[in-house]
Amino acid sequence: MNGRPWQVTFTVVLLFGASVLLAGCPKKPAPAAGTGPGGAAGPGAASGTAGGGPGGPGSSGGGDSAAPGTIGSGPGGTMGGGPGGPGGPGTGGPGAMAGGAPVTGTTIPALPSPREFVETSALRDVHFDFDRYEVRAQDKPTLDENAKWLKQNGTALLLIEGHADERGTNEYNLALGERRAKATRDHLVSLGIDGGRMTVISYGEERPLCTERTEACWAQNRRGHFLVKQ
Amino acid sequence: MKLVVACVLVAGLLLVPPPVLTPPSYSQGVDVFLNVTQGGTKKLGIAVPEFVRVSPQDEGNFARVIPEIIGNDLRFSALFTVVANEPPLPSDPEAVRKRFADLAAAGAHAAMQGFLAVAGQRVTVEFRLYDLTNPQFRQIASKSFWAEPLRNHRGLAHRISDEIVYQFTGERGIAETKIAYVTRSGPNKELSMMDYDGFNQTSLTNLQSISISPVWSPSDSTIAFTSFFKGYPYLFRIYPFNPRRREPELISAWPGINSAPAWSPDGKSIALTLSYPGNPEIYTLRLGTSDFRRLTNNRGIDTDPTWSPTGREIAFTSDRNGPAQVWVMDAEGANPRRLTTGSYDTQPRWSPRGDTIVFTRRAAGGFDLWAIAPDGSNERRLTNGQGANRSAAWAPNGRHVVFESSRGGRYQLYTMLADGSEQQPLTRNRDEALSPTWSPRPQ
Repeated sequence: MNGRPWQVTFTVVLLFGASVLLAGCPKKPAPAAGTGPGGAAGPGAASGTAGGGPGGPGSSGGGDSAAPGTIGSGPGGTMGGGPGGPGGPGTGGPGAMAGGAPVTGTTIPALPSPREFVETSALRDVHFDFDRYEVRAQDKPTLDENAKWLKQNGTALLLIEGHADERGTNEYNLALGERRAKATRDHLVSLGIDGGRMTVISYGEERPLCTERTEACWAQNRRGHFLVKQ
Repeated sequence: MKLVVACVLVAGLLLVPPPVLTPPSYSQGVDVFLNVTQGGTKKLGIAVPEFVRVSPQDEGNFARVIPEIIGNDLRFSALFTVVANEPPLPSDPEAVRKRFADLAAAGAHAAMQGFLAVAGQRVTVEFRLYDLTNPQFRQIASKSFWAEPLRNHRGLAHRISDEIVYQFTGERGIAETKIAYVTRSGPNKELSMMDYDGFNQTSLTNLQSISISPVWSPSDSTIAFTSFFKGYPYLFRIYPFNPRRREPELISAWPGINSAPAWSPDGKSIALTLSYPGNPEIYTLRLGTSDFRRLTNNRGIDTDPTWSPTGREIAFTSDRNGPAQVWVMDAEGANPRRLTTGSYDTQPRWSPRGDTIVFTRRAAGGFDLWAIAPDGSNERRLTNGQGANRSAAWAPNGRHVVFESSRGGRYQLYTMLADGSEQQPLTRNRDEALSPTWSPRPQ
């Protein structure tokens, strides 16, 4: 059971083309480091005969800079180094990308934004055991009360947030919060609330209510929280 | 139930063709002195003296600073012991020979020599490498490197470091890589990026929201991540090296969670977690298509996919047996088998070398990083209860791991070798630094 066929859909257009056009840009911005094979910079290096041509960013410029002078010498060394190789092709040249620019339309269901929902004192949180996502027996009266309110306020839409405490890893906690929110929703459905009025969102461990590192605090953070949109 | 859903994806692969240029420097054959895959303890001693200045200008003191950076890189590689803070090599051949003999007697196997020229905004280094185990002190390499503007001198130093590593191992170093990570600022989490050694930190997002789980693509150009900035946890990507494309591109926006991205080794697919059918399951998405394929199907949570370097298998977290544990399946979803037996094992990360999976284990209330072979053998603990240790990411060489740890108080990033040795802090930021991802080597 899950995501509703929301009435509104919107079209998202994929602009492959625009992206492709940008592809010819240099991969990295101006700061550059270059290498050149074996050229030697003479004492006049300051005048720019240093090895490594002015290639593109990250490219290799070659050059047959056959040691027009030497900067120091080492025993057994050939001073200038080996022959310069051919310059490497620069990155970021144009034309690597041919590209059609298919424009594809596709639709995704437009969920109401979480920002459209507001806090209400009428609906109380439910809480979960460590690493669990089943609705606890002691929380069922809370959901009974919440269901009663939802029946009395028949046009209200509900956002159910699922949260986890910090004693997990981010990605697993995001999944855990999702399970908690859906378990809460499913229980409300079993109490007769139309699933189409309810949206779930998991925040995992990312939006804790309480930030101390105590069991009491963690217990508060393992929760299903409710917001409404009238 | 009807799915009125379709996905949004981005034709990412078409965007930045990975320019597979092999720099000429790396196409030469080299004598391999060190076998990096053996992971032995034998290190090669290398002298990294100050550079010889051949131009009057050197306000940045690069003749000293660049060798220092190179020395730090080589130490970090754990392949070398570095003899640093040596004066420049003399220019007189006899004097050089004498110095080399002294260095060799002191245990150095190799010596670097550099000549530095600064002209305007360009710094150039003429670089030589010598084998001190050779009676003639044979020159192994001779190359020139340049960088501009001057503030990019760290990149120049890193390139020389990687050249040295290449000359001795036959494999490029990782000193030119970057690390992206999550910065917690107040209630928000934003993405940041820095050089692999912690320098040049920059922010990548300012979404005023929660962004988590950044993962660098194999092609170096893009980072996938989950963000709440559109309200729900959708999957996006950004282009860290393209300032004109800072707006995140949407990859997946199904109802529910779109989380835990993992790039296939060829960069053409992403494995991710979607929950729209009910509970969190692992899917793969062929980028540039709407070809979502479901790999898992059970009542538990399945998340945290990570590909083997061959692309043929995917390790992941599943609680289908009760506790969250690491499982492995074929990349099409068949043949799932359990790998670990802990009570909370998550965040598996498959080594680029293929032989190790690092994961986060929670035991006795604490988090530590562990490793296991893909066949389930050789399980061992890498961190040892100093704070919480989580969210490992491999360096592209498969020898280093970066992770988040609270051992110093607030969460910061630390690095270690794959065997858990040489643990050291990488960041010391005011804000928490979390969830690192290591870039591939630049192409």
